Amino acid sequence: MRRGTAATAARLGALAYRYRAGLLCVAIFAVMSVIAPRFLTTGNVRGILKASSVNLPAAVGFTVVLICGQLDLSVGSAMTMGGVVAVAMQPQLGWAGSLAVAVALGSAVGMINGLLVAKLRINSFIVTLGMMILVRNAVLMYHDGTIPAETYELSDWLQMPLAGVATPQVAATLLLAAAIAVLLSRTPVGRGFYLLGGNAETAFYAGLRVDRYIIGAFVLSATLSAMGGAIVAMSEAVASPTLGDSSLMAIVAAVIIGGTSMEGGKGSVAGTTVALVALTALINGLSCRGAGYEIQLMASGLVLASVILWDTCMLQRRRKRRGQRRDLLDEFCQPVDETAG
Amino acid sequence: MSRPPDIRSAAPAVAGRLYNVLSLLGVYVLIGALFAAGRLISDEFLTTSNLLITLRSVTLLGIVAVGVSFITYSRHYVDLSIPGIMALSGTVAVWALKYGFATSLAAGLGTGLAVGLINGLAVGYYRLNPIVWTLAMGSVLSGLIRWAYAGRQIYPDKATPAGRAFLQLYHAEVLGAVPLVVLLLAIAAIAAHLVMQKTGFGAQLKLTGSSYEVARMTGVNVRRTVAIAFVISAGTSALAGILLTSFNKVGAFYIGKGYDFAAITAVVLGGMTLAGGRGTIVGVVGGVTAIALMDNVMSLVRIGDFVIGEYPKQAIQGALFIAIVGVHSYWLRKSGMDDA
Repeated sequence: MRRGTAATAARLGALAYRYRAGLLCVAIFAVMSVIAPRFLTTGNVRGILKASSVNLPAAVGFTVVLICGQLDLSVGSAMTMGGVVAVAMQPQLGWAGSLAVAVALGSAVGMINGLLVAKLRINSFIVTLGMMILVRNAVLMYHDGTIPAETYELSDWLQMPLAGVATPQVAATLLLAAAIAVLLSRTPVGRGFYLLGGNAETAFYAGLRVDRYIIGAFVLSATLSAMGGAIVAMSEAVASPTLGDSSLMAIVAAVIIGGTSMEGGKGSVAGTTVALVALTALINGLSCRGAGYEIQLMASGLVLASVILWDTCMLQRRRKRRGQRRDLLDEFCQPVDETAG
Repeated sequence: MSRPPDIRSAAPAVAGRLYNVLSLLGVYVLIGALFAAGRLISDEFLTTSNLLITLRSVTLLGIVAVGVSFITYSRHYVDLSIPGIMALSGTVAVWALKYGFATSLAAGLGTGLAVGLINGLAVGYYRLNPIVWTLAMGSVLSGLIRWAYAGRQIYPDKATPAGRAFLQLYHAEVLGAVPLVVLLLAIAAIAAHLVMQKTGFGAQLKLTGSSYEVARMTGVNVRRTVAIAFVISAGTSALAGILLTSFNKVGAFYIGKGYDFAAITAVVLGGMTLAGGRGTIVGVVGGVTAIALMDNVMSLVRIGDFVIGEYPKQAIQGALFIAIVGVHSYWLRKSGMDDA
């Protein structure tokens, strides 16, 4: 009897661990809607979705790079670049043209990152750290200070309420995320990313073109970040050279809480998306309660810290169990249990 | 007819030897080049006052980098909570000034060491990912300071002797004309060098960084070793945070911003690879010096009205950073000293 309940508890624990981002999201929404006034209103939920959509494309790109077992610290700078270029070039090229230029520049940054990591085999931490500094300052050289957009039609359209809580801005970023999710989980290319992150050597011997996958991951990440930055700037009708400066912490937190492993080979876009919404809802709810920026910083740090603590606990328990035959162990433990109980 | 390979005759060819020499000299080649470039560009470069200013501008970064190199050496990348530690220890030191100068310093350093202990427990003993954990820690610390002081800055009280002493701390000179900060950097660097090269802990740290599993199975207390590395890094960060607070004359949450990435830049530039167990404190000091010289040489460039602004300067530094580390790791690979 006791064994049955223990097994059920363990299974429930494993299930909770697996869907932790979803659970966290539900828990935060439940708690906040009780304690925070005006949290569960259409306007506020729309605000939460809008705020999450700011970092969503970059976070999805970061997820892909992390699944490959690499690191991309330059996502924030790429976001800034996308936003500034999209708004600054709009008078000459129109929105479509400026968006194209922003995306092309993003791909170029990603391509350089990928080539340096894959071909010259420089550590991705170093490459993307250097690239973060380089791109941030290149953007500041190009334009120092905020740039207002010349027209507001696109911004109005992107912010227009759509089917209750969504706006075209949110829908666009969700579409991007969904496309990458399908790529990762439903195509051979996506499985290649997981294989590469799980074990690069195996991937090589399995005939995977490892270099191309690494370059592809970095291109995806930088392109998505630039696109995300451009979408934010278009929808706000203003670009600032500090747009993506504080994004890195939020992105890393969301990606890790969403179940992507720093060691690579594990993770999902859905997890990242849900975790990002959860974190944004937490911050939003806290500010509905009147908490300031400092509480938000502390709360997101604490959530991230406790999630990775949980991660490690689960990992260590699994290591301890590895190679054990539970049926035999249970038999051995039975008499001890009875005398103790 | 094939002969069995003679391991002694497999010594590297001349080109390989050049790689060897260059990768051993590492960042000092770069420093030499920068000196030559500086001499060519401007007459102002090789003056005592210019070099002193250059040296002073990076002493705090040097102190932080010496501590961080222990973490990098043990293959745990970097402590991203450094800005948080610096701000917190500086602010606590200013707050504790009312209990006297010595108490204030002790409180500041103690706070930093306590944070380092938590980091060490989490990363060393619980094996949490260093980047993610310290990022979370940095966020919590930054929030904590803003919350404790409601976003306000706190100032040392000039009316009290302790306050005046605190404000003088950064500008103090000892032994004639040696600035105290430079002396502290020298002491920290020499101590760190001795610990790494001459003590059992240094050897254990090197083994832990080179191969964690091998170190563990050899009987090294790897968890404690890594934890101590984090405590050392937090200690030097706290020291630098107190000095920076004294320089800025204010305790605030933004003290130390950017020092985490700057420190890892210096450490890696100095030839300490992220793969762990490789590099020396001499190299790290060279890396810090190289950063200062790069900055200084670029600001001396004057072609007519053309000067390099702050943003281009930093952008060039970012590109140079990738290039130099790339070349260094290429040399290491070519000379067979690293297979990464």
